[in-house]
Amino acid sequence: MIERWRARLARWQARRSPAAPRVTLDHRRIYILPSPAGYGYLFTMGLVLLAAINYQNSMAYALAFTLGGLFVVAILHTYRNLGSLELAAEPPASVFAGEPAHFALALQSQGREHLGIHVGWSAAQMQRCDIAPGQGLRLTLTSPTERRGWLAAPRIRLETRFPLGLVRAWSWVDLGQRALVYPAPLAGPLPPRSGPATDAEDHGWHVLDTGVDDFQGLQEYRPGDSWRRLHWKAYSKGQALLIKSFAEVRGRDPALDLDALDGPLEQRLSVLCHWVLALAREGRAFSLRLADTVLAPATDEHHREACLRALALFGARP
Amino acid sequence: MNKATGVNGPALSWASLLWLLLAEALVLLPLWFNVPLWLLGVWLGCSLWRALLTRQRKAAPGPLIKGALLAATVAGLYATVGTVIGLEFAAALLVAASVLKLLEVSTTRDARVVVMLGFFCLGVGYLFDASLAWALYSLLPLGALLATLVALEGPAGGRPVSMPLRRAGVMLAQALPLLVLLFVFFPRMGPLWSLPMPGDRARTGLSDTVAPGDIAELAQSAELAFRAAFEGPLPPRQALYWRALTLDRFDGTRWAQSDPGAVRQAAAWQPQGPGYRYRVIEEASGQPWLFMLDTGRLESPGARQGYDFRWQRPRVIDQAYSYEATGWPQAVREPSLSDAARRQALALPASGNPRSRELAARLAATSADPAQRVQALLRMFNQQDYHYTLRPSPLGSDSIDGFLFDTRRGFCLHYAGALTFLLRSMQVPARIVIGYQGGEFNPRGKYLSVRQYDAHAWVEYWVPGRGWASADPTAAVAPQRVEAGLAEALAADEPFLAASPFSALRYRQFAWLNELRLGWENLNYGWERWVLGYQENQQRQWLSQWFAGAADLILPVGGGVTLLIMALLILKPWRQRLDPQLRQYRAFEKALGRHGLVRAPAEGPQAFANRAGRMLPEQAGHIQAFTQAFSRLRYGAQPLAREEATAALRALKRQLPRPKRIQHDRS
Repeated sequence: MIERWRARLARWQARRSPAAPRVTLDHRRIYILPSPAGYGYLFTMGLVLLAAINYQNSMAYALAFTLGGLFVVAILHTYRNLGSLELAAEPPASVFAGEPAHFALALQSQGREHLGIHVGWSAAQMQRCDIAPGQGLRLTLTSPTERRGWLAAPRIRLETRFPLGLVRAWSWVDLGQRALVYPAPLAGPLPPRSGPATDAEDHGWHVLDTGVDDFQGLQEYRPGDSWRRLHWKAYSKGQALLIKSFAEVRGRDPALDLDALDGPLEQRLSVLCHWVLALAREGRAFSLRLADTVLAPATDEHHREACLRALALFGARP
Repeated sequence: MNKATGVNGPALSWASLLWLLLAEALVLLPLWFNVPLWLLGVWLGCSLWRALLTRQRKAAPGPLIKGALLAATVAGLYATVGTVIGLEFAAALLVAASVLKLLEVSTTRDARVVVMLGFFCLGVGYLFDASLAWALYSLLPLGALLATLVALEGPAGGRPVSMPLRRAGVMLAQALPLLVLLFVFFPRMGPLWSLPMPGDRARTGLSDTVAPGDIAELAQSAELAFRAAFEGPLPPRQALYWRALTLDRFDGTRWAQSDPGAVRQAAAWQPQGPGYRYRVIEEASGQPWLFMLDTGRLESPGARQGYDFRWQRPRVIDQAYSYEATGWPQAVREPSLSDAARRQALALPASGNPRSRELAARLAATSADPAQRVQALLRMFNQQDYHYTLRPSPLGSDSIDGFLFDTRRGFCLHYAGALTFLLRSMQVPARIVIGYQGGEFNPRGKYLSVRQYDAHAWVEYWVPGRGWASADPTAAVAPQRVEAGLAEALAADEPFLAASPFSALRYRQFAWLNELRLGWENLNYGWERWVLGYQENQQRQWLSQWFAGAADLILPVGGGVTLLIMALLILKPWRQRLDPQLRQYRAFEKALGRHGLVRAPAEGPQAFANRAGRMLPEQAGHIQAFTQAFSRLRYGAQPLAREEATAALRALKRQLPRPKRIQHDRS
């Protein structure tokens, strides 16, 4: 029953404030209710009012009304303290399963001061921050990772009770952040080549026209090229970013194949992950085959990322 | 940034604790006049102890110590106050609770509990004293309590100490319109149930048993008894005899009421001569009597007139009380006297004061007319060697004899007592009237202030066919007492208000000081008249006068409008969006965004400009120019950069190629 209501509430929230990478808090996203201290305050106000009525005391009336007026002012101040704050998500860095995932977000004041803003995923773990007028603040929320695949950040809870602590204004914001979690690398034997060989001599090796062995010349840097081959000397002299290009002696590249390994699926993926990392560190070209997905041999960063991504998302629904 | 957060909120910071202790000190100040003073010591001890505990980061004392302290305090309160019912005990208990709670305050939640207790203490303080001075003062504790709440919620350090106070002041000011609206229009009602009143403590004022010494004591007090404002002209000063009650039983030394408990029928009387309509605001007296310009009618719910023309309420007056009355100083009072009343007005002790009785017998022989006998006695007081003084010589057992024949020095009660005794000895029914005479006129507020030193006693005697007539022997001895007031009637060697050297009334000879005093008193009068007196009747009158028919709509409609205005003023939706600099930067981002250049959330303006310059090399100059102007404007506080930024942005927009969809890698 409670679960159903919770789900309904979540759907309603999702409709009311859909996920967006940049969100400005406004009246549609801010909820406001008295805090426990606020209920105590209202109770005190009631007592003073009761004393005023029973003792026919004008000043006690005035005090009760002052407390009431202050409560209304506190609602407006607390709302203002959270309202118009802008949140922006940064795409989180990918991590390996078991490492904590860091979700960075930026809070930007649009001209107002925001004091005593508590940010977090659950009421138990909130970070407090104060933002000066017009200034920004960057903070990181951390989540443990257990499984590979996409890890969606929960809705972020922003809460403030400033200035009087009598009223609690909060907002649940979904910045649509999700981090890619790669399989945890696991050392193991290099998978033997399997499947139909393209060449009789090839046993786990592929041939590539660019390699690491023989210097060929300089090329202009394209995003994704390995930083290891940057021509730093030229760059430091003020020239453009150049990449040293090598021709590799035609040889055989390792071909990583999921089906060639034995054991549980996750363990096999972890082993492949280990080899992707190891080969990329050495700058060697390799290919990766995961059932129907085949990634042709390459050495650059793009290739490494693509391989890790494929490993992380293998078997997941697109 | 993560703070250790316990179940009861984060630990209390030093700054918050200081605010809390300050607020507590300010809240308790008015209450020290009404609770046992030894609590002051408990408060000091607890505050210091708390400060030390927080300074040294030590835990609060254990439950055993706290329990023992609580038990000892409650027992001590019971021992000093003497009763557990009554407002005094409740207030003392409340003070004790908020003081002892200080020991426990180690988290923000505890601190908030103390603040809530503080709000309630503030309200209880008004039950004892709601005068203008205290009302103005209470802005301090209220502000300090709010500042404490702000400090509890505010940033830990690196902020000016004044921030909580400033915020509290702003919020108080913003709450003011709602306070005024609710105060005027919130429906007032009678008490829901009866509660003990703060009337038990001793107050200066008249009482129903009077020995001469009591009035001498009153004459030393400048405390306000009541204020009266007249509709129409002020009566002559000689007519300002404010009747409270009569004393008609004499036991040889003291005068008292014959049967104070018995409620008797009001005697018959008829208005005659000029009538004066006036409004009185009576200060809390702890007595039920209302003050009448001798004899008259009074409009006050539940008030009754007694057999001796006095008026009184069913309950004692424990806070300022306002009523309207019409008085006829020359009214015809009780033309026919019942036998019982006559007996009562003639009763004397069987023996004592032989010389006075002999004098009465001699005088009785000269004239049969009561009025002539009175005139003869007044002449005697006037012509013989009698003096008006507040420091009479002590009298022996036959006090009337001693006064009339030996000391010949006394004040109103001596003369009134002697006159009544002599008249009764001559078989003329007579009694002492106690009340006030005169009053100080405040020309700004056009009202009379009557103080305790205006307390007076005079005589009324009964004449067949004419009823009761008044006679003031004091006027025969010291006419200035009636015509000008006590200060003028006293001899030069007898200082006025000797017991209160700091009373502003002693320095009436300094014109500016007197002006200042009268102005302040006038403010107080307005306060009591319009604010403290604003209860059920007055609210009904006022609302029907100004908002006839629409009174029910005022609160919801006015409330709605007030809330709307408050929300607009506080939230400032027109300023909600962006400040001009950021708005300009947004326009810059938007222009580049059309070309697929989106600033990453953590990308600084300069980094973004560099990236944009590489992507749009032709516009790089304008992009850099704008970004630099923006930086100088925003971070270097150079307002002149404004024009540069505007020009650069305009040029950039003009030069940018037609937007075309450029794919950018943001998945």
